[in-house]
This record gives sequence, C-alpha cells and structure tokens, in this order.
Amino acid sequence: MLLTNEVELIEGEPIAYIKPIKSLVLADLHLGYEGIMAKQGVLLPQVNLKSMLLSIGRACSGRDVSTIIVDGDIKNAFTTVETAEFNELYDFANHVRGIGAKLVLIKGNHDNFVERYKGPLGLEVYRQETKIGDFDFFHGEELPSSKGFLVMGHEHPAIGVYDDTGRLERLKCFLFGSYKGSKLLVMPSASYFSSGTAVNIEPKSALLAPVFKQIDVDEMRAVAVGYGSTLDFGTVGGLRKLAIAR
Amino acid sequence: MIEHLEKPFSDQESLNVLNRYVRGWFTTNFRELTPPQRFAFKLISSRQDTLITAPTGSGKTMSGFLSIISRLFDYSLEGKLEGKVYCIYISPLRSLNNDIYRNLTRPLNEVYDAIVKELGIDVIKRNIQKVSIGVRTGDTTQQERRKQLLHPPNILVTTPESLAIMINSKKFAEHLKGLEFIIIDELHELAGNKRGVHLSLSVERLCEMVSNNVTRIGLGATLSPLDEAARFLVGNRNGKENGCKIVDASWQKGFVAQTISPVKDLIYTENEAIEDSLYKVLDGAIQKNRTTLIFTNTRSGTERVIFNLKKRFKYGEEIAAHHSSLSRESRMEVEELLKKGSLKCAVTSTSLELGVDIGTIDEVIQLGSPKSVTRALQRIGRAGHSYKELAKGLVVGLDRDDLVECSVMLDAAKKRHLDSFSVPRNALDVLAQHIIGMSLSQKWNVDDAYNLVRRAYPYSTLDRHDFNALIEYLAGNYVGLESRRVYGKIWYDEKEKMFGKRGALAQVIYMLNLGTIPDEVAVAVFSGKKWVGNIEEEFLIRLKPGDIFTLGGKLYKFEYAKGMKCHVSEAHATEPTIPPWYSEQLPLSYELAIEIGKFRDRFASALSKKGKGKEAEVDALLSGMPIDPNARVAILDYFNEQLAYAKVVPNDRFILVEQTHDFEKGTTLIVFHALYGRRVNDTLSRAFAIEIGEMLDIDVGMMVSDNGFVFDIGGKVFTRQQLVSAVNDLASANITNMLKQNIRKTEMMKRRFRHVAARGFMILRNYKGYKKSVGKQQLNSQILLKAVEEMDQNFPILKETYREILNDLMDLPRAQDVLSKMRRKEIDYLLINTDVPSPFSHKMIAFGHADVVMMKSRHMYLQRLHKSVMKQIS
Repeated sequence: MLLTNEVELIEGEPIAYIKPIKSLVLADLHLGYEGIMAKQGVLLPQVNLKSMLLSIGRACSGRDVSTIIVDGDIKNAFTTVETAEFNELYDFANHVRGIGAKLVLIKGNHDNFVERYKGPLGLEVYRQETKIGDFDFFHGEELPSSKGFLVMGHEHPAIGVYDDTGRLERLKCFLFGSYKGSKLLVMPSASYFSSGTAVNIEPKSALLAPVFKQIDVDEMRAVAVGYGSTLDFGTVGGLRKLAIAR
Repeated sequence: MIEHLEKPFSDQESLNVLNRYVRGWFTTNFRELTPPQRFAFKLISSRQDTLITAPTGSGKTMSGFLSIISRLFDYSLEGKLEGKVYCIYISPLRSLNNDIYRNLTRPLNEVYDAIVKELGIDVIKRNIQKVSIGVRTGDTTQQERRKQLLHPPNILVTTPESLAIMINSKKFAEHLKGLEFIIIDELHELAGNKRGVHLSLSVERLCEMVSNNVTRIGLGATLSPLDEAARFLVGNRNGKENGCKIVDASWQKGFVAQTISPVKDLIYTENEAIEDSLYKVLDGAIQKNRTTLIFTNTRSGTERVIFNLKKRFKYGEEIAAHHSSLSRESRMEVEELLKKGSLKCAVTSTSLELGVDIGTIDEVIQLGSPKSVTRALQRIGRAGHSYKELAKGLVVGLDRDDLVECSVMLDAAKKRHLDSFSVPRNALDVLAQHIIGMSLSQKWNVDDAYNLVRRAYPYSTLDRHDFNALIEYLAGNYVGLESRRVYGKIWYDEKEKMFGKRGALAQVIYMLNLGTIPDEVAVAVFSGKKWVGNIEEEFLIRLKPGDIFTLGGKLYKFEYAKGMKCHVSEAHATEPTIPPWYSEQLPLSYELAIEIGKFRDRFASALSKKGKGKEAEVDALLSGMPIDPNARVAILDYFNEQLAYAKVVPNDRFILVEQTHDFEKGTTLIVFHALYGRRVNDTLSRAFAIEIGEMLDIDVGMMVSDNGFVFDIGGKVFTRQQLVSAVNDLASANITNMLKQNIRKTEMMKRRFRHVAARGFMILRNYKGYKKSVGKQQLNSQILLKAVEEMDQNFPILKETYREILNDLMDLPRAQDVLSKMRRKEIDYLLINTDVPSPFSHKMIAFGHADVVMMKSRHMYLQRLHKSVMKQIS
C-alpha cells in the first residue's frame, strides 16, 4: 500500500520502498540469531536469512531498486561478530550484490564491530543519523536531530488484537506519525524470530526508543503486516481502547 | 506368558522360603501373612517376575521386599555379601522413598542383631555383613552421593529420574552390574505417562548392562487393566512378551461410602446457604472423627476450604493444607503431624492420594466429583488403617450432574469397574533422551540400539523409520554440515551404521536436562512494584486486560504482560471474571462416562414407563444407589425435568443434539449431549466444530465439558439433514489430518510443542550452568513452530507433539469409534430445537472450556478481524 506519494509499504512484507532514492528499507534483521541460540542450547531451524532473502526478492520484483538500506541491527550479538553471524552477513551481502544493489547499514546497538568487515562485505556503514535524499535514517536508540522524513527501527513495534474468544493475536506493524513537524516512520523488525512489542497493550513507559518520550505513540497510525497482507488498523490509541474494553 | 494367580500358597509354605532369622523377625512382629504376602514371598524367592496389586496398608511393600532381604542375608551368612547394589527400588515419590527407607531400616537392623546375638564373635570371623540400604533422589546431598560411590548400599531406593542419572554415570554403573532385583512401586502412577515410558527404557538399558537375569517386581494399589501393567513391567524379548505372574489382592479392602447433597434443593438455594450447609457437614465430621482427610479437586479449592473452616469454626493449627504448590518442608510437616495423629483434619488436592504413610484416617471426605473410579477408590482407600478395616468415605456433590456422577462412581467402585490407563506408545521425545544417554557410555550399532529400545513395552511397535529419523535429528543432519558441530547431539556414521558421543560437554548437558516433567513456566505477578505471586503461563494466555482473578486469596485486575512478568492492579470487585480452576480441572474418565450413560438409560426408561410397575422400579433403582435423601430427591427431579422439557434423556448409546439460544448474546447454540469423557469429547468436539464450521461457513465458538460440548453458531441455523451429513462425513473422513490442521493454530499446540522440544533436547533448559526457559528468552513458540513446520513436516519433535496431543491428551481412537458407531446407528442421535436450553445442558453452557476453531483461511480471518475492529472503533 502507498503510505505517501513517495513511500510504499510492500504488501505482506516488513519492507518499505522509497521511490525518490530507489531504496528498500528494512530494520532489525538480527542475522546469525539461530547460530547464537544454538550455542545457548536452543536449536532453531535456520530460516531467518532464507525468509528475508525471499522477502527482498518479492519486494524487488517490478521495482527499480538501487540501494538496500538496513536501518540498524543487521546482526544480533553485542560483544563481537560471531562465526554464525559472519557467515550469514556474508551470504546476505553477496545476495544483495547479486541483485545489483548497494548495501547500506545505519549502525544499531547490536552492530558492534561490523565495520571490521565492511571491506569484504562491500558494506557502507554509517554510525549515526544519515540523510539520503530527503530521508533521514536513524536506528532509534537516540533522538533524531535533523528534519526531513524520519525513518527508524529499534522498537520492533507490533499490535495486539483480541479475537472473539479472547485470544491475543499479535501482528508486526509499521508506525506512522510525526515528530517535531517531520514525518516519522517506525519500521517493524524484519527478523523471522521477532514477534514484536504490542504497542497498544504495553504501557507507554515500557517502550524503548527515546522518541516515544517526546511524542504520544497513541497518535500514530499502525499499519499491520503479516499473513501475506498489509492493513491499516487506524491509530494506536484506538486499538488501545479496544484492548482495554474487551 | 502372563499368568493370573488365584490360589495363594499356605502360610507355612510361604514362611519356609525365608531364612531362619528373617522368618523369626517376621513372626515376632506380625501375627499372620497378609493376602499379597501369601503369594509374593514364594514367587519372588523363586525369582519370578511378579506384578502385585493390593490396597494401601496391606503389607504390600513387605510382600515385595521380604524374600529379597532373606536372600541378601543368605549371602551375608555365607560371607559372600559384597559392597554392591543387589536390589533397586523405584517409586515416583521422594517422600515415599523416605518412608521405605525408614520402614526397612528396622528389620535390617533387627535381623542383624539377632544374628549377632546368636553367633557372637563368629560374625566377624565369618565376615557376616549387615545388609545396607540407601536412598538416592534429587534431595540426596553431594556428600552422601560420594559416600554411596565408595560404599554402595545393597538395597538402593530411588526415583525414575535418579535412576536415569545413575545408569549414565560410568562410575556408579559399575556398582549396578551385580543387580538381581528391581522393584517398581506405585506402578499405576507411572505406566500411563511419559515418566513411566522414560523409566521403562532405563530399566531395559539397566538390565542390558547387568550380567544376571534381573527379577522384576511391580507394585500398585489400583491398576487396570492388569495385563497391560504386567507387559509394561516385563517388556519383550525378540518380539515376544516376557512372562509375568499377576497377583491381584486389590479386592481385599472394602469401603462404605455415600454421595450426599448438602441441601435439599441445589438450584434455588442461595449460594451462601449451600456453603453454610457444606461447611456444617465438614465441621460435623471433623468433630466426630479423630482424623479427617478432605479431598478437593483443585489447589485453589484446598485453600478455600481451609480458609473457611478457620474463619467459620475458629480452627487453628489442628487443621492444615497439603498440596503441591506448598513448600516441601511444610508438606513434610503435615505428613509428620498426620502420622503422629496430632492433626484433626488435613485438606488436600491430589498430593496425599499416593501411598505416603499418613497414619490412621477415620474418614475421607471428597468435595465434588474426582472424575474417575480409580481415583475415588484410591482416595477413599486412605481411610481405615489395616486392609481388614472398611474404609469410610463421604462424597459431597455440588450440583446435580455431580450428584449423578458421584453416585454412579461409587456404585462402579463397589463393583470394581476401574478406569483403564493406557501406555503412551512410541514417544519420540523420551526416546531422543535415551539415545543421547546411550551414546554417552559406548558406541552403538544402530540395529542393536533399535532392538534394545524395542524390548521396552512402550516401544515394542516402534517404526524403524521413526527411529532412523530420530538418529538423523540428533546427529544434526537437518542443518548444513558446517553447523552440525553446534546442532549435533550425537556422533553418527551413516556408512558404518554406528553412533556415539559428540562433544566434551555431552555428559554434563545430558545430566542437567534429563527428565520428562515439563518446566511449567511460572509468570511472576506484580502489583505496581510489589511481587504478589506466580501464575502458570497457561493461565496467563487466557487473560485479557481487565480480567479479574484470584491469587493468594485476593482479587487482582490484569493489566498487561511483558515477557515473564504479569502486571496487575488490586481489584475492588467482589467476583473474579476468570474462574481460578480454569487450568486445573480433572478430566472425566471414559469408563465412568459410559457408566453414567448406562445409568441415565436405565433410570430414564424406568421413569418413562406407564402404569403400576413404574413407582417400584424407580424406587428400586434409587435405593440401589449409595445416596442420601437429599441427593435422591435432586436426582429424581433432575431427570424428571429433563424428560418433561426435552422428552428425551441422552445416554451412552444416544447422543442428543440440541439447537437452542444463548440467553445473553441471543446467538444460536448447538449442544451435543455426548458423554464419553473429556479426552474423547475434546477430540469429537473439534472434529464436529471443523465440519459444522465449513458447512455453515463460520468460525464456531466452542465449549467442551465432561457431559458434552457446545457450539456457538451465531445467527445461523443447523438442520437435521446437516447433522446426518456431518456424521457421515466425519465417519469416513481422515480425522487425524483434519484435527492436525485444526490443532496447529491453538495455544495448546504451542505449549505442548515447547514441552516436547525440551524433552527431546531441542531446547535445553539447562545449558552450561545457565538455567533458561524459552519463556525467559522471550522466544515466541508460535514462530519456532512455524519455522520447524517449514523445514520438515515430519520432524520428530513436531511428529511427537501431534502424537502426544492426539493420543495422550485426546483420545483419537475412541472418538473415531464413536463416529463410526454413529454412522452405523449403533449410537443413535437426534436433533431437537428448544427455546431455552434443556436442564441437562445448563452446566455445559455455564462452565464450558472455551477455545476457538477457526476457518482455514488465515487471510480471510485477518480481514474479518480487521473489519470488526474498524466497526467497533468508528
């Protein structure tokens, strides 16, 4: 669906396409997660990278894509780059190159030490807020300083909706609103293994990103993504009222 | 061959198998042999595999042990008793183990003292050692364990879990190589679940390690069917079942019990008045008896009864609660006080059901139906100490269905129509654990390992493909070669068909994670910053913001949950909106359900008769039931009302399908009066919900209970013709696949999958010293499940989850049987329309267990969800 004239949310995928800069944006990939979990005794099937590449493949089809922007947290471990992460980063970067696109990473809090490998991975790494065209990308663990269309990750937003029998269904979502007069888009996590934080159910104080101390999340629009579709669910505030009423 | 023994040996014959000193000790301490002992002494002494079923207090334990003690003293007298384990005793309860230790220490000491007294200094010259005994459970200290490693006890008392650890510890296993006897106590608590399945493999592996022929002895209080229990005990060799002697002395203990209704009219009497009367009954019994034991069906019920007794009658320390949520110390204290006779009354849920010694109980009172004949017998059997005394019991029915159920139950108990257990077959998660365990001690040829596993009865029909798939999974073959180092649990050489240990940490990881009892993920509940208690994760799943529930006797309003923390505020309401027993209700057994159905049939046909004989027949039926006058009136009214309103009473061969309306919501309800026990109803209801959902093109809201199931079909109408085609469709459909499709989406599937994944070592609970749960890692099990499904639909962990749900939790075979009988009209059915629900459906509608059956397309579901959300907002 078209969010604005310039920004399209790809149907059923946690990916935004920004036309003026011919870019696909994803956030919070957490590549290498399965390998790290396996080292902790939890055997997850290796599906994250595979599903992500399929998503990107679908997003590219019929669109002119020159850049893939990862808005933070391309990998998972804080302290180092694990072998499993390196392997997946390598495959990911290779795949992007295969599409003929440039890979840009806006560093997030999980992306320590990635710069070491930017040469072999062919990765463009930016430490903080970065402006590409009229769009301002930042991961989200700090407040943005400049103006323009703001795009962040970090929060892993989702909405929780109760069905008729009281079961909670959680769906990843984009959040769209404004911050100090600029448009603000919050990306859902692209990771297969993240189910997200239900922003309409958790109290506002439980949200991670400092930007939510400045603006009211209830005024943002939630566009849910999952089961192959992307749907506008109205404001977070509306969904919050609904959750409490049930 | 499995053989039932009818005729006991004479006392003389039995005593003659014991050596002089042990016989001397027995005859000074006991006047005569008890029934199980008249069989067991001789059988065990001649090394026969034996299954003994006898009531508590009948000298059952001694019947298993005495011949063994005698034999060990024979060795000792010959100077040949070595410092190794000759006999292993396994029970599911640690507290029972401590009892056994205490009870055997005395005879071992006294027999040895008698020998010393007679032989004097010769004892040293002839190297006559005392027969030693030791306990090894999770509670055993490190120091004690080290001591046991140096000086292993001749008789080792342990639990299934500790046994599994011992057979995998190289050093200790050395001491087990001279084993001659294995005793498994409380077999009825093990044979029907995965703990028992795990044990059966441990026993086969242990026997494989031992050079002797090991004699197996099984003990149980109430076991049915006995042949199945015997098969479980002895296992197979080369595809044939081993021989076993069965001693059934369970009929030896009688009981007197009655079902009562606390008030004349259970419907229109105010709740408070019913409670007043109920507590008066309890107080009366406590006053009259020296010691009273009260069983409730839930932990919260136990708490409530204690609270009320103390509040109403000013009881203090002389009454106490005993349930599994209490700390071990406080439970042991209650057991001690009961033994000493210094407690007037104990209130418990299930924890005092088993054979822990609790001294003499005068009367057992059961509140509400315990849902199974076997359980009723076990509970009432706790009263009256010796097997010769009649056990005295009182069952209080709390509604009219309860009254019918309890009186039929007591009647069936009198006739000893027990519920049968069934052994879980071919559980892949438990097997995964054992394959890893086997790999630790040696390299195995895959065929040899397969053959060994199949000796255990639960695996006698194990499919070779499943076994191979499991080996492949454990070898990590489902990931790329480079990741196998982390993913592989065992080393496996496909060409040589050999497997063995992988990694230096394998042993430690195995020991820390083995076992079959799932970690119930406890969720901490916070009111503001204050911790107020824990709830089960399953309970949390059901909560919506604003729901009010009780915790520790207080009411709280659910706000939200994050990770493993649940946030609440104090509620100023008077009633909880979510009943606290939601997740702890006991399921009605199939056998009892059928008995109730038969009673309904008999009683309803007597009531529908016309003419002279009617009164007398009705009267005779009621007088034959163990009920008080109140209950008698209530049951009679209940049936008369149903007959007057609906003209028919459903029974075991007649399912009434009632189309009616929900009072409040105004929607159409379809009530299936199907009385086949909870497990069958769980299965049937899902099958019908899917079928009807597709027919009417709706999501069917569903409530399952013991007496049937209810569907909410919104504004739609269901016709007779549709019912007929639904039955015919289901009878010929592949229900297994249908149910799998349906179960996939449920909370139950996610939860069970996680348990199976932990048991099958896909998710380690304890890794390198960090205790973790998936919950704590906030890994969404739905996503994990989806990932596994996408990888391989036949992945062993996934396959086992479905098997566990369909066969252990539900009862697919019996549900299929009911469906085909419906098609053949061996079970009749009829659709009627009522304006208001008929009396027999009231409880079902009021107390159902809600779940959802959704239509196939998730996509459409999402859109509809969206639409209804938008409508409500605007």
